[in-house]
Amino acid sequence: MELSLLEVAFNALGVMLEPERLMYLGLGTVLGLAIGIMPGIGGVAGLALLLPFTFSLDAYSAFAFMLGLGAVTSTSDTIPAVLFGVPGTSASQATVIDGHSMAKKGEAGRALSAAYAASLIGGLWGALLLGLTIPVLRPIMLNINSPELLAFSIFGLSMVSALSGSMPLRGLAMAGFGVLLAMVGGDPTSGQQRWTFDTLYLYDDLPLLPVALGLFALPELADIAIKRMAISQTTKYNLRDGMMMGLKDVLKNWLLVAKCGSLGAFIGAIPGLGSAVVDWFAYGYAAKTCKGASETFGKGDVRGVIAPESANNAKEGGSLVPTIAFGVPGSASMALLLGGFMIHGLVPGKAMVTTNIEVTYAMVWSIALANILGAGLCFAFSGQFAKIATLRYTLVIPGVICIMMVGAFQASADWGDLFVLLIFGSVGWIMKHMRWPRPPLILGFVLGGIIEDYMRISYQLYEWGWVLRPVCAVMLIAAALSLTQPLLSKVFVKRETLALPRFSSPVFTKGDGFSFAFIAVLVWMIWRSLSWDEEAQGPPQVIAGLTLALVVISLLWAAVTRRYSDGKQGAILDLVADMGELTRPMVNLRALQFLAWLGAFVAVWAIAGILVSALCFVVFYMRVQAGESWRMVTGYSVVILCLIYFVFDQGFHISWPETVLGTWFPVLQAIPTM
Amino acid sequence: MKTLNKVIATVCASVLAAGTVVAGGHGSVADFYKGKTVELYIGYDPGGGYDTYARLVARHIGKHIPGNPNVVPKNMPGAGSVKLANWLWEAAPKDGTVFGAISRGAPFEPVLGNDKAKFKANKYTWIGSANNEVSVCATMKKNGITNWEQLKTQELTVGGNGSGSDTEQFPKLMNAVLGTKFKVIGPYGGGADIVKAMEAGELGGRCGWSWSSVKATKADLLASGDLVLLMQMSGSKHPELPNVPLVMDLAKTKEERQMLNLIFARQALGRPFLAPPDLPADRAKALQDAFMAMVNDPAFLAEAKKMDLELSPLSGAEVAALVAESYDTPQAVVDRAIAAIR
Repeated sequence: MELSLLEVAFNALGVMLEPERLMYLGLGTVLGLAIGIMPGIGGVAGLALLLPFTFSLDAYSAFAFMLGLGAVTSTSDTIPAVLFGVPGTSASQATVIDGHSMAKKGEAGRALSAAYAASLIGGLWGALLLGLTIPVLRPIMLNINSPELLAFSIFGLSMVSALSGSMPLRGLAMAGFGVLLAMVGGDPTSGQQRWTFDTLYLYDDLPLLPVALGLFALPELADIAIKRMAISQTTKYNLRDGMMMGLKDVLKNWLLVAKCGSLGAFIGAIPGLGSAVVDWFAYGYAAKTCKGASETFGKGDVRGVIAPESANNAKEGGSLVPTIAFGVPGSASMALLLGGFMIHGLVPGKAMVTTNIEVTYAMVWSIALANILGAGLCFAFSGQFAKIATLRYTLVIPGVICIMMVGAFQASADWGDLFVLLIFGSVGWIMKHMRWPRPPLILGFVLGGIIEDYMRISYQLYEWGWVLRPVCAVMLIAAALSLTQPLLSKVFVKRETLALPRFSSPVFTKGDGFSFAFIAVLVWMIWRSLSWDEEAQGPPQVIAGLTLALVVISLLWAAVTRRYSDGKQGAILDLVADMGELTRPMVNLRALQFLAWLGAFVAVWAIAGILVSALCFVVFYMRVQAGESWRMVTGYSVVILCLIYFVFDQGFHISWPETVLGTWFPVLQAIPTM
Repeated sequence: MKTLNKVIATVCASVLAAGTVVAGGHGSVADFYKGKTVELYIGYDPGGGYDTYARLVARHIGKHIPGNPNVVPKNMPGAGSVKLANWLWEAAPKDGTVFGAISRGAPFEPVLGNDKAKFKANKYTWIGSANNEVSVCATMKKNGITNWEQLKTQELTVGGNGSGSDTEQFPKLMNAVLGTKFKVIGPYGGGADIVKAMEAGELGGRCGWSWSSVKATKADLLASGDLVLLMQMSGSKHPELPNVPLVMDLAKTKEERQMLNLIFARQALGRPFLAPPDLPADRAKALQDAFMAMVNDPAFLAEAKKMDLELSPLSGAEVAALVAESYDTPQAVVDRAIAAIR
């Protein structure tokens, strides 16, 4: 049996190495890399478009192409994450924290090369795990039911404790708020509209993409614009040294790569979890277990790059599991892939791990080969990319903003996406500057919806009996330990005594304004929920109440200990705003200016279409902010406009909104996107 | 001389008029569409069944519309395609350059009391439907239920996909009308998640499952006899399922029939295509004719077969009639149905 499986695996490799199939694999890989680089542009739109072209290919070439495309987006999405602090896809959010910090210190080359190497090894490791476990996949999956998935998700949420640094109350409050945000939209059972402002946009829940881009990407771009300097003033190493350094970092941390790779493959296999949390799990795990992490993580520790990057490439192998074994696609791109399989007569289910196992192995090889090719290509251009970090900010901001705006908009082709982007961008910027950790918010947001759904299913089926199922019990205990671990290790491992600080009458500062605003929002949410159907009120009110309590306690605690504290701020596991010599009023003024630029971008878009507004933004921003030469401005504009027109308008057929001018003067609709 | 002028003028005028008539007929539709881009909006994200059907139509319908416009698919997802239906009703250009693909349930949302659905579906320009989606209730043999009568005494857990979904509404309506004891558990992420839970024994079955999808994905369970079909839901029986009871035949009173019809009529127009209301009549006809010509085009049929997409098309007029019928349902019946599926 062993031998024959091995034979099958190598036969499958032979099949995949045929030149035509390699060519399609390469084509998919290159497209996947391009999609990964552009923030907000996911592979789904591209895949839907390209799917028909694969109908005429043979089955192996078709999925080589599709898997190639899917497997490497999380290799190249590191590039904008490290260079601009803008995650290229949701799988590289966690990479931003240490990767971007490294870029600021002049170590962009090292961070990139470590990321590629980790992606490569993680991706291969994920494929290997998939290959080894194929024969036992179905039986295992048949034993992982809704209660188990619920328990995994709860355990995942307990990672919040690792991602809140020394501010556990703030972290938990943010996680609670994330769960509340996940509840926006229709109640899954009664259909009650929760906090939707009576809009159709929020009917289907708040979309992840503009929230994530707003929370993590916009604040970084805003700070670049505020500082008005290149991202990195220095380059620490020359190109070759930096890259060698990154490689060595990965080899030195091979165990971390293997662990995070396994974690990634496992999480990828759970439908619904996927790419938006896999990087945070790995990052949280590393922050908890790596030696000295509490001192260095968040300040440019290369291990903070290696962990998420090895996990997010491994997840592609994992996410194939439910797709091929049960036809349950874990994500939209897997759903398309599944559609492609069916066209080529591949029916998911038992056959894929028995009679058709050679096909499944060929898929595993496709993922492995795509990872090698993708990392190789990125390596080759790494040096060129690293130089971008030293570019003038006026050359970086316009292009990234234009692509990100389009990326956020195409998520659901609705103005709501842009509002959400700007609102969460503002909130994220304030959080970053006020030292409220953002990762727990996104973790709560992604896991909140899954936990709510599986909780309902588990309760309907077993009431509270689900807690006693063996896997559930173990995971829940692990979650409790993980949540209390910082406290436990202080008391039992480090044998510290927990001394209460000295209290005084409360002292409030300007900075508490954020807490008060937060409290106001929560109170408003609870007040709104009082008018809902009775059956829909319970869970949202419990979460909102707990979150409110956490914020109030955190606020009061800070207020009564402030007078006698040593003035040292707690550490959070997030990027920290370093504004250099700029004064606070100056920073705030420039932040408002930047917001005005973005508001104007959206307004002109509404009046005259994306092409006109992108053109205006590029020209005015480059001329007004830095007086770039007309030659530079013209060239830059042409590139951006061509990209939007050919790729997004003609290629992806994004349904642009109606514009004011286009409605008043229909003749003008001859201008694309107007 | 004057007379001659008059004659010439008359002749010229008649020639001109004749020309206008010709141009106003078929010719002008072709002229209108020539070189134009027609947009086919899809009310869902890429990847699902509606998207797959719509993209297939987008690839083929252009060559059957006079003037052979370029047809591009665009996604406008939201609220189970109610967002797109609203947009087609309120804002979309009414010149024949835009049409859409919405869910089979969306046209009936206003009747069923969804105040977010701001349209009257019987006023749309219906272009056609690609398939009569016969849906089934199924369970695994190991659960010991072999015919639907047993469901009146024995509880069966079935998976639901959240309020408003077929998998939630169908069993609830049958509980109310036929006295079955389905217990709906949910919300599951998608139909495939329900089937997996059924295979794993977490759930008893799935009620609201396209027969075409059963065949495409679970042929092995059908062949081995592990999957038991309890009922089929549509206006009429699927030719391949003569022995599975049709839900419409199980109603005893006229009112029960009307209630079932209100919810299951949608199956017949399983993959509907529609244009905004008040389209110019000639262009509306051109689109409707193009749809019917397309569904008989061998190239279209071959591709659909390759993609495993079932086809049993309805014309625009047939879809319009089905929609209109449900808008004529007495309010008392509608209220009972709404109470049942809540």
